[in-house]
Amino acid sequence: MKWIAVVIVAIALVVVAMASADGQETDYSRKGADTCLSCHDDEVTLAIFKTVHAVPSDSSGPFGHGQLQCESCHGPGDAHSGRVRRGEERPAIPHFGSGPVASLEDQNGICLECHKDDVGFGWHTGVHPSDEVACADCHVSHAPADAVMQTSTQAEVCFDCHQRQRSETMKAFSHPLLQGKMDCSGCHSAHSDEAATAFAQQTLNASCEQCHAEKRGPFLWEHAPVSEDCGLCHAPHGSNHAGMLTQRAPLLCQSCHSASGHPSIANTTDGLAADLPSQYLLGQSCMNCHSQVHGSNHPSGSKLMR
Amino acid sequence: MKCKANWLVVTLLAAAVLAPAASSQAADTSEWLCEYCPFESGYTADYSVGVTSVSEDSAYIGNATGYDEEGVYANLDGQGRYANDSYRWRWRLEDLGLDSRAAEVRGGRPGKFDVRIAYRELPRRRFDSTATIFVQSTADTLSLPPGWVAAAQTTGFTALDANLQNRAIGSDRRVFDIGGRYLRSERLSFSADYRRQESDGLKIRGGSSFTSASLLPMPFDYVTDEVDFGVRYGDARGFVSLRWYLSDFENGAAGFRWQQPFSFSPPLGTGTFEQARAPDSRFQQLSLATAYAFSAYGTVLSASASFGNIEQDTAFLAYTTNDNLSPEPLPRSALNGDIDTTNIAIALTSRPLDKTRVKLSYRFDERDNKTAQDLWERVIVDSVLSGDPELNTPYGFERATLRLSADYDLFASLRLSGGYDRKEIDRDFQEVASQTEEAGWGRLRWRPSASVEIDVRGGTSQRDIDSYNEVFAASLGENPLLRKYNLAYRYRRYGDLRLSWSPADLPVSVSLSGRVADDEYTHSQLGITAGDEFGVAADFSWSVSERSSFYLNAGVESMQSQQSGSEQFAAADWYASHDDDFTTLGAGIRVREISGDVDLQLDYRRSDGTTKIDVDTAEPGTDRFPDLRSELDYLRLRLNYRRSERLGMSFDLRYQRFETADWSRLNVTTVPQLLSLGASPYDDRSLILGLGFHYRLGDLSPAVSQP
Repeated sequence: MKWIAVVIVAIALVVVAMASADGQETDYSRKGADTCLSCHDDEVTLAIFKTVHAVPSDSSGPFGHGQLQCESCHGPGDAHSGRVRRGEERPAIPHFGSGPVASLEDQNGICLECHKDDVGFGWHTGVHPSDEVACADCHVSHAPADAVMQTSTQAEVCFDCHQRQRSETMKAFSHPLLQGKMDCSGCHSAHSDEAATAFAQQTLNASCEQCHAEKRGPFLWEHAPVSEDCGLCHAPHGSNHAGMLTQRAPLLCQSCHSASGHPSIANTTDGLAADLPSQYLLGQSCMNCHSQVHGSNHPSGSKLMR
Repeated sequence: MKCKANWLVVTLLAAAVLAPAASSQAADTSEWLCEYCPFESGYTADYSVGVTSVSEDSAYIGNATGYDEEGVYANLDGQGRYANDSYRWRWRLEDLGLDSRAAEVRGGRPGKFDVRIAYRELPRRRFDSTATIFVQSTADTLSLPPGWVAAAQTTGFTALDANLQNRAIGSDRRVFDIGGRYLRSERLSFSADYRRQESDGLKIRGGSSFTSASLLPMPFDYVTDEVDFGVRYGDARGFVSLRWYLSDFENGAAGFRWQQPFSFSPPLGTGTFEQARAPDSRFQQLSLATAYAFSAYGTVLSASASFGNIEQDTAFLAYTTNDNLSPEPLPRSALNGDIDTTNIAIALTSRPLDKTRVKLSYRFDERDNKTAQDLWERVIVDSVLSGDPELNTPYGFERATLRLSADYDLFASLRLSGGYDRKEIDRDFQEVASQTEEAGWGRLRWRPSASVEIDVRGGTSQRDIDSYNEVFAASLGENPLLRKYNLAYRYRRYGDLRLSWSPADLPVSVSLSGRVADDEYTHSQLGITAGDEFGVAADFSWSVSERSSFYLNAGVESMQSQQSGSEQFAAADWYASHDDDFTTLGAGIRVREISGDVDLQLDYRRSDGTTKIDVDTAEPGTDRFPDLRSELDYLRLRLNYRRSERLGMSFDLRYQRFETADWSRLNVTTVPQLLSLGASPYDDRSLILGLGFHYRLGDLSPAVSQP
């Protein structure tokens, strides 16, 4: 058995040695940012100095005292900034360059190293890492005003990938995303979180109730689907029907209600204004009378009419 | 032997922990002077003063934007920032002359603290041509106008036209938000946030009276306060956080009254009816979250547990406004609603092999409704005691979701993924006590070259129920053959496809995505019996030059459902199909520095929606409703001219058209038993022209010159 232990220890030491050797392959530049800026003096690059990433007094920021400046995020730049022989290709900067040599996961790791507090450890629970989304796909760290951090421009960034949601918000009835008065992050947690949900709050309903708290109840007479899932009746990204309903009433209501009498009636074109106008069909349809569809707190309101 | 085993374990753990540490190499930064770093110092602010002309009144176009009335608007926008060695501040003013105004200041000392204070308004505009006979005599009462002639049907309302008053339907939301974060150390931080939302205006509320109904312009005044405190302790390996959240909702009043415009023989009650408003409520939640990143296999484990409570104790209204009726006393004076919520989540991701990533997550959500049950009488339209007391049903549920997925990189360019999801829901007081949905899916992502990506995904899911309690359904008056949409057995198949092409040597990118889904509700005789969905979306962008670009996007979507019903309260005797079709189109160009000092931005959007509804009954032939249609056109042209470093001008043209064909609002005033507000289909168009002058104040200059 002794030889097994020796082998395992040897393997462990080799792993450590290899990891150490990996770190020695790349060195940092001689003068840090001054080295980088001697070539990269364009407007886009220099914009980093208009952001919170470049505050000298922030000891934990990239440009704080003793920090690695540009190389905090871009990685060791000695090879990239060093002399290259004629005809030889300049080595790429390890991270976030035009030809990144690091994996996407490693690059995201660079961001997460500092942004654990705001992004949290929840990133791994979401769909974005599974979909190989890079932080830099959405964020522009050099921009003084990152578009995805502004309410008026955030949706357009998200729509670059979420094409279906863009189409939905262009429907007749939608939340004011295209008007730039609401952002996706009002309802969604793009970074996900430890709660393993894509919503801003713990559940879909709790997210909706941030702005629609009047629907929360609890009511004396509840409407069962309301307390469980707003999405059973509403299409929050957009719909052809007022109130962003998934279907037109009365058919929407009749997908769950078929009591004898008027709830089970087949409302036909006979009920249109040109024929025998029906209050079951026109105006607010079922909600002409059952207006308390989210619940009623009236003692006589069991039919959600009061 | 045991000692040896422990020794081996310790050695391996040490290796695992040391390995990543060894890979990070310290740099000597003593000579990194950052002499050429242009750190900013000072302030700058850009302000824009302008006037905007709006050609037409339009609730739809003014929704969220504030441009709802014809006329001229003065406006002020601005943004600025201040910086020095330690602090960063930025502020923003938006649309100060409009009902959609916003202002925000945020900043702080990076690495130490940050704060934010913001205010914004959001106008919600629904209809501007609606009219009512009702007079708002108090904040909570709508009265009939003097001289009102009641009748059994709207055709008999001889005083209708003389008493109609225009009453726009809409509201205004005001949101005040203040919050911040204090970083006590690199490991310890505190956060606090307070938000107050006020929303008031008029919403449409149906008021029922037996077979007749009135649509009422109900005034409302909501206030919601939210408080969020958090503390977090953590490092690069893990963290633990604690958060307390409070949401307090207040409504102006518990009830809302209106006078009955229809005549009944004998009269209904006192002629004044009452509804309950949304009750005041309070939600509190305490959340504990933690996570740890292990050295081995890139494993991250996170967990959170939230425990909340919703309370509601608004005093009940009386059973009826009719003093001539004598129902039993209310079982209690307020609901004393009491719901406990629990949300627990655990997630684990790991890379057990170099090319493999696995993910396991589990969520548990519970709504434990502890509100007491009682028997309640019901007074029908303030005239008749139902004589059949009803038990309130405090709905609650437990929902557990398990997700397991794995990715495997077969080649550097090909990733295979698969997953299994299982969701269980247990409910109280509903036809289905327990249901389970299981889903399996597979995915393939292939990058045949650096510029092409193909992503295909498909799967199935099956929702099973333990049993549909037909006896319980019958007790609710429902047809026992009905299977409610969300409680029914369902088998779903779906597929997604995404293609993208971004050639390195061409300034274009193209992406295409598509989705198909098919739902079968094979155990449902009544209710939704089938559904399917199809959608395609495409994007094209082209960087024409360094200064100009073009984009185009388009989408087609179709959603269909089939359902059946029974007028005879037996087997299905009518069938309906509901088909929503949409097409959307967007295009635009951006050109910078035309003639050196003009920027141009042109955007166009169009969306068309059509809903087709067919109903088949025992009558011969298919009864097809007229198409419900909506058409939206939006065109915007913006020109910015820079006169100098500080001075500029802008021209902004917007044209918007929104038309609907909607039989539910067409000639709605002819319905004999419905006194409506006359909301008609939309036919809105508006030309919005704006002229602005920009001026830059301050001089936020680099503290250090460039080399």
